[in-house]
Amino acid sequence: MIGTLLEIIAYPALWQVLIIGLVGSLVTAVVAIWFERKAAARVQRRIGPYWASPRLGGFINIIADMIRYVTQEVIIPRTVDRWPYLLAPVSALVISIMPVAFVAMTPIERYWPVASMEYSVLFALAFSTVPPLLAVVAGWASNNKFAIIGSLRESYVITAYELIAVISILSVSATVFSFNIVEIVEAQSPLKWFIFLNPLAFLAAYLAVLMSTSAFPFEIPESEHEVVAGPYTEYSGILYAINMGGGYIRRFIYSLLLALAFLGGWAPYTPPADAGPVLGVIVPSLIVAAKALFLVLTMSFLRAVYGRYRLDQALDSAWRLVLPISLLGLGWGIVLGLFL
Amino acid sequence: MSVRESTIAELRAKGIEVRPLEKETYEVFVGPQHPGSGHMRFILRLDGDIIVEADPDIGYVHRTMEKLSEGREWIKVTPLIERTTIIDACNITLPYINAVEKLMDKMPSPKASYLRVLLCEMNRIASHLYGFGIFGVFLGHSTAYMWGFGDREVFVELAEILTGTRLTYTYHIPGGVRRDMPQDFPDMVRRAVRYMRKRAPEYEKIFLYNPVIVSRLKDVGVMSKNRAAELGVVGPTLRGSGIRYDVRYNEPYEVYDELEFEVPVFEEGDALARTWVRIEEIKQSLNIIEQAIDWLEKHKSEPAIPKEDYEKLPKLHKDVYASEGRVKLLPAHISMKIPPGKAVARVEAARGEIFYYVESDGGTMPYRVRVVTPSARNVIVFKHVLPGHKFMDLPTIYGTIDYFAPEADR
Repeated sequence: MIGTLLEIIAYPALWQVLIIGLVGSLVTAVVAIWFERKAAARVQRRIGPYWASPRLGGFINIIADMIRYVTQEVIIPRTVDRWPYLLAPVSALVISIMPVAFVAMTPIERYWPVASMEYSVLFALAFSTVPPLLAVVAGWASNNKFAIIGSLRESYVITAYELIAVISILSVSATVFSFNIVEIVEAQSPLKWFIFLNPLAFLAAYLAVLMSTSAFPFEIPESEHEVVAGPYTEYSGILYAINMGGGYIRRFIYSLLLALAFLGGWAPYTPPADAGPVLGVIVPSLIVAAKALFLVLTMSFLRAVYGRYRLDQALDSAWRLVLPISLLGLGWGIVLGLFL
Repeated sequence: MSVRESTIAELRAKGIEVRPLEKETYEVFVGPQHPGSGHMRFILRLDGDIIVEADPDIGYVHRTMEKLSEGREWIKVTPLIERTTIIDACNITLPYINAVEKLMDKMPSPKASYLRVLLCEMNRIASHLYGFGIFGVFLGHSTAYMWGFGDREVFVELAEILTGTRLTYTYHIPGGVRRDMPQDFPDMVRRAVRYMRKRAPEYEKIFLYNPVIVSRLKDVGVMSKNRAAELGVVGPTLRGSGIRYDVRYNEPYEVYDELEFEVPVFEEGDALARTWVRIEEIKQSLNIIEQAIDWLEKHKSEPAIPKEDYEKLPKLHKDVYASEGRVKLLPAHISMKIPPGKAVARVEAARGEIFYYVESDGGTMPYRVRVVTPSARNVIVFKHVLPGHKFMDLPTIYGTIDYFAPEADR
């Protein structure tokens, strides 16, 4: 009975896409927002969220915020382009979870969401690059000057970070000579993690994720004091929550990819080939998710330290500094692949 | 001649001012309901990301302070005008009282002068920290915001202990101040000074040496010496452009000529220099506060109003002063008549020079009160410095000018 139930839960479409992908990223969003507020409060010599639940450090506060967003009235301005306006945030949410459906979180073939992992890294990267385009669509459909400026900024930033993200994550493939995520993870086992072997590529990928999800110091498309809420200025209620949570969700999904590609995936644990659903898929994928969560939290902390760059400065540093770093990472990855 | 041009010519012939909209530019209205605008509006014309024209549209919080002053008794004007710059209330009411004192030919008692200086400098620090916090959050730096507002509380609370209110002190009365300091006040002030001395380098570390912030501020909003003089800006904005002008130093009022302090001046004229001026001014204000509190501690027994006024007080009022340190005003103060005449006074507030022209016709109310506030003089900077900058430089320049809309609109 329990075995059957576990098998059902471990069914890839349910476990990996819905539980790790959707629920995991929502939980991460809540935890990350809470941590962001608490850590920033610590730096800023105040308490942060507290009174909603003193014993949990005010954790409930974030949940209350979410409930408010969900139950708030959604106002659709008459001047917007209705269908793109509605579809952009929803499809962005769905597509930003898609990369999870193309990577494995366990070496056991039975629990993979797709039959073959041959080109998994490429598919995952391809899907991860789509949601920012929908932010541009959202801004354009809003028919608001601040939204259009925000989405223009978004599109500038896309051109800057996309190449960096792809090159730096693919430098791992260059080392292993494979796009297969399982082979990449197994090549790192137990402690030959690519974050140690190829730190430059990891640094570039990390910065690219910051840029892509508009985290500080690259919080440019949504910078409140110039463009109100950037592409999302005209959104309200749950649509706004989807948009704003979208950044955290994409940060988590990217971090899952980084955890697999650079942080050794499910290492130090290796599931035995005949393991059941718990040891076979649930434990290793939770290890990956924990590593990803850790990455997300480090990104959240930067809010307390940095302000935001100016758009041209961010683009400048992306093209002149981070892109060369990612190319160096790729070169070093090839060298590693040839001589390791 | 196209229809457009002929229409423009027609309207101009009728005497209507016409500013044709450039087709290639993008017009953005920042404010008045905008998180980065304050109580004002910028009409910006953007060419891509570059501002080609900036039009500060002020007056949203105009409250006719000058006209209202003409309708109330001399002493009741103070609580009115301090609403113009509520975060700098001591400095903005001081020149009014100075002008009234000039008309009455009355000198404040030395102790009152020192108390005024003490409160004004505490107010200057609080106001700079406020501006600093707002500026920080404009650049997305929430830590600077929280620190600025948190540490401002130290000085706001000191002011509350001294005057009884956090912001609207109404502290000055002609010839003196409303309250003497409490017994243990010097120790509290010294503790606050020690605390702020320790904090100032931390502000520099997290904000002014922060690579992201430096890249945002350096060489942005540059105003050369000549440009600053030409635009007639005042205060830290002027001193950030290398001109040593500070009313406390150039034309000392109260007891500033007896105190030792420096006027921090930076030559670069960019946003970074203006921010540095504020931080250095906080340090200088701490020095002044220390000197003032040392003097006050030595002269504890003197009354906070002139001796001859004190002698005239009835016994009840003297008892209240002796037990509570509070100057209980005589009813005659309300309907006080000021000899006819004209007087001007100026002080250096946190944002720059405040100038008052006060005219009396011998009645119980002012005939005319004219206020020129630093924000009103600095707002011109937006029009002349913003063009050519990127749209993202707007908060940087807005923050470093430390523009306070209610002060400018009055």
